[in-house]
Amino acid sequence: MIYVTDGSFEGILTAVFEAYSNKEEPDTITLGSDYQLSLGTEIREIATDAEKSDRVWRGIQSRISEKCLEDLYRAYLSEHHQAGLYIYRYVRLGLKLGRKVEGYLQHPDVQAIHDLSRRVASEVHLFLGLLRFRRLKNGIFYACYEPDSNITQLIAGHFAARLSDQPWIIHDKKRDVLALYNGVEVVFATGLPPIAEEACDEEYEALWKQYFKAIAIESRRNPKLQRSFMPARYWKNLAEKQL
Amino acid sequence: MNLLDKLQILADSAKYDVSCSSSGSNRSNRPGGIGNASLPGICHSWSDDGRCISLLKLLFTNVCIYDCKYCVNRSSNDIRRASFTPDELCELTIQFYRRNYIEGLFLSSAVVKSPDYTMELMIRTLKKLRHEYRFNGYIHIKSIPGADMRLVYEAGLLADRMSINIELPSAAGLKLLAPQKEPVAILKPMDFIRERIEESRELVLYKGSQSFVPAGQTTQLIVGATRDSDLKILHLSEHLYSRYQLKRVYYSAYVPVNEDENLPSVHTGPPLLREHRIYQADWLLRFYGFKAHELLDEGHPNFDAHLDPKCDWALRHLDQFPVEINKAPLEMLMRVPGIGHRMASRIVRARRVGPLTFEDLKRMRVVLKRARYFITCNGRYYGGVDLDAGLLYPLLADKADKKVMAGQISLFG
Repeated sequence: MIYVTDGSFEGILTAVFEAYSNKEEPDTITLGSDYQLSLGTEIREIATDAEKSDRVWRGIQSRISEKCLEDLYRAYLSEHHQAGLYIYRYVRLGLKLGRKVEGYLQHPDVQAIHDLSRRVASEVHLFLGLLRFRRLKNGIFYACYEPDSNITQLIAGHFAARLSDQPWIIHDKKRDVLALYNGVEVVFATGLPPIAEEACDEEYEALWKQYFKAIAIESRRNPKLQRSFMPARYWKNLAEKQL
Repeated sequence: MNLLDKLQILADSAKYDVSCSSSGSNRSNRPGGIGNASLPGICHSWSDDGRCISLLKLLFTNVCIYDCKYCVNRSSNDIRRASFTPDELCELTIQFYRRNYIEGLFLSSAVVKSPDYTMELMIRTLKKLRHEYRFNGYIHIKSIPGADMRLVYEAGLLADRMSINIELPSAAGLKLLAPQKEPVAILKPMDFIRERIEESRELVLYKGSQSFVPAGQTTQLIVGATRDSDLKILHLSEHLYSRYQLKRVYYSAYVPVNEDENLPSVHTGPPLLREHRIYQADWLLRFYGFKAHELLDEGHPNFDAHLDPKCDWALRHLDQFPVEINKAPLEMLMRVPGIGHRMASRIVRARRVGPLTFEDLKRMRVVLKRARYFITCNGRYYGGVDLDAGLLYPLLADKADKKVMAGQISLFG
């Protein structure tokens, strides 16, 4: 049985609710309508329902923990194609075991959520450092990036607190998700018209590149180590890695 | 001289200082201000040598009255010299920060005119940055040995972290290579900073009290410029952690920059493997409950190049192994080679839910390459060989290290 959701977190929680009330065990819970169908599998369309997903949400909160909700949400943001199913299985186990499910790392269902949640959390931490802003002609600071997971809403708050006196835009080019900050609040958007990326910023980028070069100790050169901390797939949006 | 040249010269001169950490402070932003500090610290890039770039690490000036033999900025060296103005430094910091290049400023300096004069220039810069530019991000300032305590105090009120580099691990080494510096000029301010930090922690309960160096103080030791043993270095670190409450001791493999009869030749590479071993041992002191005398002693004063210090220790204490994964206390699990403190606490949490098998450990991604020889799971041993140091050594020795070793052995010929 395949459960087809709309790809929202609420949709997945609704699917968890439906699995319980239908007393069936889905083989897959999809994130959206883009999935592989093999001959003879049954499909159940899940209509996202605020009340049902709320009940699952509150059930997790009261019978497992708040931290568990955070882990599940991070796992969801990984966009792993089995994230929906892992969430369902974790919740099923968690409702039985309660809080101690979080430590039950020898269980594959717990390990799966733990891994995805950690993968997302570490990418969030990495981009708090690796995001690069450029000052556009209109005075707005613009940063584009292409993260593996859908982390824009997890990093925006950090920049709103830190760079609170400058308007900025964070643009996930892979998903076309934007966070816009006007000096007061952050708004999330998608499908905006393309942004004129010309920066008037060459002076500081040149200084930064110069610094990046000067700070390395030649006799300790270690590109492998550099790449292990800062994977090459992220380089194209890093000023210091452009010639 | 333009700003690009200055930046090049004064970053180049600062790069041998290894500390770049931005952790330990959680200063928040203020309305109309810019920046805050993140408690765990944030790395913003990694340079071509693989070291993290977190802070904008610069010297205020590389014009120096001292002639320390190991230092690239020694007065007798013929190198390009430059100095920033406080405004240039503030502007660079703020503009880099706005683009999220950096987490803050690490300001150090050569000693120009006198220690007090240098310290005053640095303080003037920090004051401007904090008050005029309203910067609330991370600041690490190097305290200049020999500066007046009043100035050290003033700097500490503006910074998140302070450090004074010991550089040479023994008084004899200091006398030989930096005859113009006195050990007391290093240890006295270190003690002074420790006292002020403690005071400020007690006062923090009262409203309006100023915080002093909230992220604590650190220092740096050069490894391989003198003949001091690993034992000597580790004992010194242990003393610094307990007596002076240092947050970190950094170790810097000496990069030969000057030709001198008392120094390794400029044709040798930095002793990177030795530095690595000492860092591993430092971790064991700070997070794993080891004491320096457990890891090294007079009969065994240096680390084995082929074994990490924990393996080295375990092979000399085989009577304490194997340990049962399902019963051993956390402190003992952390002493198993290959099991880190994070994995040890995961094991403790997991075994509360149910007993762990060898397969479970694999699934939890415990690195069993080394650990398998030191543990049992439900009474069963999976090592496959007898617990004998002679048999285990070749199985545990790090073969890949041999290449790095080659460059290091010839240090003192």
